Amino acid sequence: MKLLIVEDQPKTGHYLRQGLAEAGFNTELVADGNTGQQLALSGDYALLILDVMLPGRDGWQILQAVRSAGLDTPVLFLTARDAVEDRVHGLELGADDYLVKPFAFSELLARVRSLLRRGSASPQETSLQLADLRLDLIRRRVERNGQRIDLTAKEFALLEMLLRRQGEVLPKSLIASQVWDMNFDSDTNVIEVAIRRLRLKVDDEFPNKLIHTVRGMGYVLEERPA
Amino acid sequence: MRRLSLSSRLALLFAACTAVVSLFAGVLFSRASETHFIELDQQLLDGKLIGLRRALHEIQSSDSKIKLADELSRQADLSLRITGSDGKRWYDSSASLPDNLPQQSGLSTINNDGTDYRVLNAPLFTDKPDSPQLTLLLDITHHQHFLQRMQHLIWLTVGLSALATALLGAWAAQSGLRPLRRMSAVAKGVSAQSLNARLPEANMPPELAELAHHFNAMLGRLDDAFQRLSAFSADIAHELRTPLSNLLTHTQVTLTRPRPIEDYREALHSNLEELQWMAQLVNDMLYLAKADHGLLMPQCEPLELADEVDFLLDFFAPLAEDAQISLSREGRALIKGDRNMLRRAFSNLLDNALRFTPPDGQIRVVIVDSADSSILRFENTGDRIPDTLLPRLFDRFYRADPARRKDDSEHAGLGLAITQSIVHAHGGEISCTSRQQSTSFIIQFNKRA
Repeated sequence: MKLLIVEDQPKTGHYLRQGLAEAGFNTELVADGNTGQQLALSGDYALLILDVMLPGRDGWQILQAVRSAGLDTPVLFLTARDAVEDRVHGLELGADDYLVKPFAFSELLARVRSLLRRGSASPQETSLQLADLRLDLIRRRVERNGQRIDLTAKEFALLEMLLRRQGEVLPKSLIASQVWDMNFDSDTNVIEVAIRRLRLKVDDEFPNKLIHTVRGMGYVLEERPA
Repeated sequence: MRRLSLSSRLALLFAACTAVVSLFAGVLFSRASETHFIELDQQLLDGKLIGLRRALHEIQSSDSKIKLADELSRQADLSLRITGSDGKRWYDSSASLPDNLPQQSGLSTINNDGTDYRVLNAPLFTDKPDSPQLTLLLDITHHQHFLQRMQHLIWLTVGLSALATALLGAWAAQSGLRPLRRMSAVAKGVSAQSLNARLPEANMPPELAELAHHFNAMLGRLDDAFQRLSAFSADIAHELRTPLSNLLTHTQVTLTRPRPIEDYREALHSNLEELQWMAQLVNDMLYLAKADHGLLMPQCEPLELADEVDFLLDFFAPLAEDAQISLSREGRALIKGDRNMLRRAFSNLLDNALRFTPPDGQIRVVIVDSADSSILRFENTGDRIPDTLLPRLFDRFYRADPARRKDDSEHAGLGLAITQSIVHAHGGEISCTSRQQSTSFIIQFNKRA
């Protein structure tokens, strides 16, 4: 699975590639619009990450060319400008997501994973599991080590998200947007409190902790060697 | 083309008015004198006519012309012509009488070779239809000269008085418009550095007092906006200085000598926190800048305020439970607005309230719906905010307590400013009142057709 990054700022491009490569993606970086378009039109990529302002031709023109060639490769836009018209323009042309600089890398990673997952809808799951933690989607019940855990509706939704995206670092903003539908930078520590309460119920009584805080980036659900 | 100056315009108008008035008076006077002269001449000629008729009756009887000559010689400027009923000229008292004289009876005025005459035609015998005609001619040249001189005088008066009033008017207008020049001098002196100049409103004439008042008010608003803007720029620099200085120091200190890997990780984490705080600050400032440029365009959809508030109270519930604060909502109202923007605005208020309400306190959201507005009141039982601080609450970077900074909050004192911008973008107003143990933020949305 290959990703194409078209970004003309060397530092940004370099760190994006390094970060995505370390997250397990095979990435290619080009710095100008024309080469970017040629590569994008080859259809070899699972996802395009395009900067809007590029030498040669801008991100929108590349997107247009890709869509008119009949390719439905997901496209994630990066831009330093946050004008409403820009956003509308991008979405009209068929962009799948949009990130405004400065953005957190964890946010970008989470969105990249969402976009890649979109295409491959997994068969309807009836339960999610990690180690001895089991979440029954049909009966809406959670068990750990055979022990029933009572969760509120929001706690259930939060745990479901963590389980579905286990191993991924989920930034607070993404959790707020997915679980609470708060689609703006909310400056609260509500998410911290919610995670703490979930931990109390899910992790505290067990030696094997599953919910982890990645300092400065977000939360991850995974099994770590003791 | 350049418009005339106000002073010249006023001076010309004054001059025109004076000219019209003096011309009117002159013409009236000249007409009156002329009429008066005509009346005098009529009386004189009527008197002569009687004397002449009598003299001519005697001529018929005594056949002597002496009486007639006598009668005529008493008045040097009077001449007589007698015409027969067949039109033949019988007698001229002087040789130089004009040939063509008006035939109609009554008084008329003629001019002949530079001499003006008043002419009176009358029959010699009033009882005979074919009576010879008497024509009396009175030389009135000196009267006419007098009238002409008077007319010249009138024109001269009109011209001179117009000129005089033009000059006086120009002077009067100049001094009358002095307050305007003072105003323009003040306006000229206004620049970004001297927005505190004001016009003295007290000694302005009433016509200009209002203008001066509005002018001063405008200067006041400019001054205020400018002060805020300068303070804002200074605040941005100040807010960024602390995290930047932390980043610089921490990075340099870390790099001064080799360290265990844990130290580097710690340094990067610490830097990450500063950077995230700065990113948040920049994003908030961009949001406010968009609001300032009128680019916050709410997507208006019908929203039930009660649902939105309940949604947020549900979101904040864990935090409130932790802080032992009770949350409640009462009332409902339907408005048109942008869901995400309003959620952001309200969540800032609730977040603030949660931070300033002591344990066991309460936060209540009261929604009041009336015919022309919907009002939301966010009440909390926090400490009283001093009155002097209330107007500054919505200022950017303002913190009620300067010592509080960056503790648990990622925001740099822009939350309330953002809330205010969102409320304004919805055409609403926000205010704050504070009493002991009760602080309320009140948002009013006007319902418009």
